[in-house]
Amino acid sequence: MQTITLVPIEQFNISIEGETISPDNFAGKSADEIGALVAYEGNFPRLLSELFDIKVDGNADAADDVKIEINGNVPRVKRIGEGMTGGRILINGDVDMRCGAKMKGGIITINGNADSWVGQEMRGGEINVQGNAAFYVGAGYRGEPCGMRGGKITVFGNANDFVGEHMCGGEIVIKGNAGIMPGLSNKGGKIVIEGNTTMPGSEMTKGTIIVKGEVEDMMPVYQREGIEAVDGVEFTKYVGDVVVDGKGELLVK
Amino acid sequence: MSEMLIKNATVYDPINGVNGDLMDIAVKDGKIVDSASGSAQVIDAGGRLVYPGGVDAHTHIAGSKVNVGRIMRPEDSRLGLKPKTKLTRPYTGYTVPNVYAMGYRYAEMGYTTAFEAAIPILKARHTHEEFEEIPIIDKGGLTLFGSNWMVMDAIRENDQERLAAYVAWGLLASRGWGVKVVNPGGGEAWGFGKNVSGLDDPVPNFEVTPRQIIRNLAEVNEKMDLPHSIHLHCNNLGKPGNYETTLASFDICKDIKSKRDRQSLHVTHVQFNAWGGNHWGDFESKSEPIADYLNQNDFLTIDMGQLVFGSATTMTADGPVQYANARLLKARWSNGDVELEDASGVTPLEYHPQSYIHGIMWAIGLELALLTKDPWQVLMTTDHPNGGPYVNYPMVMTMLMSQKRREQEMSKIAEKTFDRTCIAGIDRELDWYDIAIKTRAAHAKVLGIVEHGKGHLGVGADADIAIYDIKPDETDATVEFDKVEAAFRRSAYTIKAGEVVARDGEITAVPMGRTYWVKTKVDNGGYDRMMDDLKMKFKNYYSVNMANYMVQDEYVERPYVVETEYK
Repeated sequence: MQTITLVPIEQFNISIEGETISPDNFAGKSADEIGALVAYEGNFPRLLSELFDIKVDGNADAADDVKIEINGNVPRVKRIGEGMTGGRILINGDVDMRCGAKMKGGIITINGNADSWVGQEMRGGEINVQGNAAFYVGAGYRGEPCGMRGGKITVFGNANDFVGEHMCGGEIVIKGNAGIMPGLSNKGGKIVIEGNTTMPGSEMTKGTIIVKGEVEDMMPVYQREGIEAVDGVEFTKYVGDVVVDGKGELLVK
Repeated sequence: MSEMLIKNATVYDPINGVNGDLMDIAVKDGKIVDSASGSAQVIDAGGRLVYPGGVDAHTHIAGSKVNVGRIMRPEDSRLGLKPKTKLTRPYTGYTVPNVYAMGYRYAEMGYTTAFEAAIPILKARHTHEEFEEIPIIDKGGLTLFGSNWMVMDAIRENDQERLAAYVAWGLLASRGWGVKVVNPGGGEAWGFGKNVSGLDDPVPNFEVTPRQIIRNLAEVNEKMDLPHSIHLHCNNLGKPGNYETTLASFDICKDIKSKRDRQSLHVTHVQFNAWGGNHWGDFESKSEPIADYLNQNDFLTIDMGQLVFGSATTMTADGPVQYANARLLKARWSNGDVELEDASGVTPLEYHPQSYIHGIMWAIGLELALLTKDPWQVLMTTDHPNGGPYVNYPMVMTMLMSQKRREQEMSKIAEKTFDRTCIAGIDRELDWYDIAIKTRAAHAKVLGIVEHGKGHLGVGADADIAIYDIKPDETDATVEFDKVEAAFRRSAYTIKAGEVVARDGEITAVPMGRTYWVKTKVDNGGYDRMMDDLKMKFKNYYSVNMANYMVQDEYVERPYVVETEYK
């Protein structure tokens, strides 16, 4: 087991492309080697050692045995854990956009708020956001036909608009409320919203959206198909979006 | 200017008949010369492969539709990233790279010239603005005439002099190199939501047929003595069964003779036009009749339009086909209306080896190249980025050179492909000389730029030279295809006008290339009649004034003008 602790040296003003911060890149490296990895600050390449105090305990051969702890707010560090295949990242603070983008395995826990596109185009693994998440949880990059394809994202607070846009697989659970149009254009996967939301499931062709709270402005593009029970609770089941010949399932109270 | 001497080069220069001779090449003032003085910079090629700089006769690298592709595919610009250096700007994009990467990536592969295959006159200024920023390579563009009101009116009224005057004026207005004809008549019909169904289907409101458009433009092209023949994108592209239209289109120009040493018809990306079957269910390859035709007729050249599996962005002036594509694939779609001139469309798509339709398309491109006996008749292209981006040229080259490489690719492709194609039974493997023809010499000859110093290494030619890190006599390309592909992807040296612009696939200098265009003198009554008609059309129909229409010299800072005369 290798534990790497990163503490931001300062509150960054310019956003940092932090895609090198991942168990795959850190596995088996010493503090000096990790410090020599490059992260762009704006358009300027910086060494991780210039940005973080780095401490390493233990050693590991593979990403699975790596734990990265980021102690402190990093609201301007993007793409942490991008493409990671295993291991753990614990962020004790807020984090910037695209945290866990394209990740294939492992666990990211954010003890704070996540900015937009958390778990963007995720393929597997798990992301837990203890605070709130901003826009496009588990969505795809602009123009990308598929957002999330696998894995699970849990947001314990609220999420903003467009949760799971273009989602093709996997699961998103929002414990709080979600903004407008969760599951926009999704083609698979499951979204569970325990709080309230607005206009869920527009252009959905496949997949499931369950809303346990209130739905405001139901889109008039769904056909009612009776009652379905989930975990002993009865929901009204709708199928659509009929405009795009969709077979998605929308379950609302 | 500096001198250069390339020693111990294994040279393949098909235009001068040099086939793998070990020789030295001397360069002075950006041109190939007989010998160099003692002060010349010496590059020891050490027996490695030396080709003339690559020439691409059909690619889409600049202009409004490329930019539409960039706008509609933000996800594409996440690929191919390379940060800026002291010398180069950042690279972005795979199918629709940014303007700078267009030039860098060609140069890294040993290419030094590329011709944009579709310039609508109305949008020509945009094309030239991009040309002026694409570094290193020499450029030119083909101007669209196939659905133009001026063209169709002149043809209906049987006034070839007026037609010639307009083509000359259009080439001047767009600073273009040649006559491009895309789905003749179809672009205009698309303005009314229709298409033309074949060569004898009249264009709505104009009462001329695609056959007449092709024939008249081809005749006028030769009377104007243009360096390039007409460059035809056939009707019915992208529809199963279209090979019959393609063969009939060839026949239209069969008896047209060119005074120049070149074809009298170039038909482009024929892969998309050699389709059999009546619908997608019985879709099949019809490369054999096309190749037979080519083997029996030498007035004609084609290019492959090879498909490359993965992401592509289709962009063409063929508006209706793009609408059909977008509907079929539920893909994004952009439609353009170029007022009196043409239509256009952009649709991104993905070619999957597991789709037999895409598998068959992949096979057709290679079949056309391999079944046609004369390598000069079929150019290697991918119709960038319609069949796939040009950065895959090295892969296509190895597929032409090695049956093993093709078999490797075939193992990934849907089984059903092989009942409907003959690719599996073709054992022809092209050699280094053939590849030099298919990627440089024939392109230059087809475009008519050999006499302007392109595509060969004879004395007086432009010193555009590619040295690849491979020794032809020690390398068996039929087996060591990975090594060959790697060498073609990153040239050891790319020399442009006597300057080393890339070394081991890294850019070392960024000179700006020239823009080739043709100025034709049409000195007869046709010019006045054409101007009367043109002024009327601008007054009544165009959304811009004539004074604001033409590309000015300020937009073409480094022109290379070829002058011809109508006879």
